[in-house]
Amino acid sequence: MRWWLLARLGRAVLAAWGIASLVFLGSRLLPVSPEQLSLRETDDLTYLPDGTQTLAAAQLASRQRLGLAEPVFYWTRLPGPTNQWQWHGPHNQYHHWLGQLLRGSLGTSYRDGQPVTRLLAQALIVSVPLAGGAAVLATGLALGLALYLARAARGKRRAGLRAALAALQMTPVFLVSLALLLLFANPDLLNLMPAAGRAPAAGPLAAAGYWAARAVLPLLSLVLVVLPELTLPLAAALRYELSAGYATTARAKGLPLRRVLRQHALPNAILPLFTILTELLPTLVAGTVVVEVVFALPGSGRLLAEAAATHDYPVVVGGVLLVAAVRLLGLVLADVLYFVVDPRLRPTA
Amino acid sequence: MKYLSLLSSLVLVVSACQPDASVSSTEAVRIRWARDPETLDPLTQPNQNATDASYLLHLGLLQVNYQTNEYAPALAQSLPGVQVLGDSLTQLDYHLRPTAAWDNGRPVLATDVAFTLKLMHCPGLPNESAREQFGFIRQLRADPADPRHFTLVCRGQANDYQITSGDFPVLPEDILDPAHTLRDFPLSVLQDWLPKRPPAPAVAALVRRYLAAGLAKHPGHLPGCGPYRLAAWEPNRRLLFQRKAHWWADALRPVPFVLQARPRQLDYLIIPDDAAAVLALRRQEVDVYPHVPARVFERLRASEAARSELAFYTSPSYDVLTVGFNTQHAALRDKYTRQALSRLFDPVGLLAATQLGEGRRTVGLLSPTSQFYNDSLPLLTYAPTQAQSLLRLAGWQRQANGQWRQPNNPQPLALALRYRADEATFATAALQFKAAAEQLSIQVTLLPMEAAMLGQALQAGDFDLYIRLVKGNPFGLNFESMLHSRAIGSGNITGFGRPDTDHLLEAIAAEGNILRRRVLLRRFQALLRDEMPILPLFFLNNHLIVNRGLRHVVISSLKPGYAATALFWAAADSTGSHSPATP
Repeated sequence: MRWWLLARLGRAVLAAWGIASLVFLGSRLLPVSPEQLSLRETDDLTYLPDGTQTLAAAQLASRQRLGLAEPVFYWTRLPGPTNQWQWHGPHNQYHHWLGQLLRGSLGTSYRDGQPVTRLLAQALIVSVPLAGGAAVLATGLALGLALYLARAARGKRRAGLRAALAALQMTPVFLVSLALLLLFANPDLLNLMPAAGRAPAAGPLAAAGYWAARAVLPLLSLVLVVLPELTLPLAAALRYELSAGYATTARAKGLPLRRVLRQHALPNAILPLFTILTELLPTLVAGTVVVEVVFALPGSGRLLAEAAATHDYPVVVGGVLLVAAVRLLGLVLADVLYFVVDPRLRPTA
Repeated sequence: MKYLSLLSSLVLVVSACQPDASVSSTEAVRIRWARDPETLDPLTQPNQNATDASYLLHLGLLQVNYQTNEYAPALAQSLPGVQVLGDSLTQLDYHLRPTAAWDNGRPVLATDVAFTLKLMHCPGLPNESAREQFGFIRQLRADPADPRHFTLVCRGQANDYQITSGDFPVLPEDILDPAHTLRDFPLSVLQDWLPKRPPAPAVAALVRRYLAAGLAKHPGHLPGCGPYRLAAWEPNRRLLFQRKAHWWADALRPVPFVLQARPRQLDYLIIPDDAAAVLALRRQEVDVYPHVPARVFERLRASEAARSELAFYTSPSYDVLTVGFNTQHAALRDKYTRQALSRLFDPVGLLAATQLGEGRRTVGLLSPTSQFYNDSLPLLTYAPTQAQSLLRLAGWQRQANGQWRQPNNPQPLALALRYRADEATFATAALQFKAAAEQLSIQVTLLPMEAAMLGQALQAGDFDLYIRLVKGNPFGLNFESMLHSRAIGSGNITGFGRPDTDHLLEAIAAEGNILRRRVLLRRFQALLRDEMPILPLFFLNNHLIVNRGLRHVVISSLKPGYAATALFWAAADSTGSHSPATP
């Protein structure tokens, strides 16, 4: 078991490094140059360039400052019909990036010069509690709703609930977010929740209350979006387990249906839930862009989306590395949870 | 019992989040920003928000007076005196205000201006934009007798040097360079420094000190001479600027408009979503909503509840929706072809569809509000019949299958149209043109692109037509960056340029007499109409929504479109608190 775990973690590290390396090289080979960000757009008539010579000098200075004047990789294919290559040695962008990575640094942002680790940390402070809280709430609600749905196959209330969950699953997340916003933070309707603004200048207790109220709508959006994905498969799995022989035997012994569901069917039905839950882990760090934009939350989803839009490659590569690492660790965690719940699945040695 | 406790918790939460109007309405003016300025480094200014923030913390020699839409002296005592030297130099004479001072009490001197200009050319600093913009200033001659008097020597002769030469925030020399090491380097030496050459040790040390100060996120590390200091910055959430209690310009009588600073606090809230911003405005969590989209503006104006608590303002802007043609392509080399394709755009319909009718059509790049506007030229309209006549005049022949072909060109007329993908206005204009062109059997391929990719494709000349928003201003009216042959490869994307048009552009830039300039500009507009390398469709309007409690709302055609420092609350005014007199 321990050796298996170490092997899996080692493969996860290698995979994360491979993914990040691919994104790094891909971003550096894009035709768009990040130094354009520090120069004015050419449709702005309010500045007076001296011509292409001045523009080229400014672009070169920008590339040197951002560290983009060096070759991208250890070798480069020379232009021309002959398939020749030029070796650059350690003086290339990838080598510097890898050295920084091994020293625990992800570089600095092109936009504001801040360390990428600091930017990610600031964004994760907003995203992880939001997505984590939504995951916990959604899981609890999903368990309760699934047990309720599995108790009987028919009934108008259960059919209505199932239809509502299916409708929620089909609804895009921005519609859910905007609907909640327009419903609960609208002076023309219910004016209960703060939409966007700043905490009142009163004491820390009022500020904590404000932030708690501020988090209600984003949390509700995420819970509503994730809930069908957790509930419907679990309910179906529970219904399937109820038709198994051991469940019939338990009922024959006189156990109430509720106990049969909780103690016998649920441990077997819960295995797919672990996979779905661990797939939510990348959301904790990748953020939920739509919810963060609608509710004006400076989370990691917005950070990565804006970095990609402005070609801030160090932030993009750092974010991809983080998301890849968390996703791969999530897969390992799912396997470990499988082994804990079902010892028969444990690997030998 | 469980629901009762939940209900009481909800009541507590709801009561906690009610806005404290009695405090906030007399303190902060809360302004919505769609994005974070990202950096407050005064050398960088990557977007309009960063520029606005820089000018709250620092001052330039000249700044925009949003009441008159003109540049006015800020640190300078008056507009500079202009003197033309020979045939290629301009000399600008500046005097700094005697009372101008930094936060640490030291006066603002000519050496600070010289230091700031040299900072723009130190390698390793994020100064490429400033370097490109102010590279025309070649020398600063200080007056040995008067430390506040200096002369700028500029390369070239353009009228707008008088105002653009002062449009940068001035930084203090004594903090960043206490040993005055940069004084040993003339400005032109720094400008001509080759990129391959390593920087001088003194320059490298200065760059390290500048970067160590961390001005991008901590502008308070540098004393400014502006009216505000940064009190709080929560990235991607808000910025709070606090008025300085004692500022050097408070002693001026009368206070010039550009040196007014009435709000005690300016609280900029970052709300990227327009729907959330509208709700925040309705809930009085935001007091000023600039750059309102046209549909949102109309919907709010139609709401009776919104009208009772909000005031609505509209002003023309200098942003013009413009179509450009690649005149280097064989199919578009003939001016009659470009004229024909221009007749397939429908400015009236597009204005109604995208701006709900607000905005103004134009015959050229000059705004219809400008005194140089050529009102003798007729406005272009959608005219497909005339387009066919012009195509035939250009030598195109319509084949049996409806396609247009030229005798010496085997390819039929087909066009690739590029535009930004994130703006509905561009997509609407592109779709309208495509529909009109295909009625004449002209095949049009639409290529919506991300902004940076679009810029790259346009620079490479990989387009037939493009649709863009050209940002102008009423000051210099210098179109060399767009249409001069010297600018092909940088700003002249259409590739249009001829010796006679180059001479005309240079004459417009250098002409000082306003009557002769008007003649030249009218000729320029007529020339563009005839040659049609670009087709300006219409100028957009600028929309602003303000809480009714705010007074002295100055709406402007210049970005950001309003004067934040001129606002004050009616409650504060009615209590008899003293306000500086309006000049």
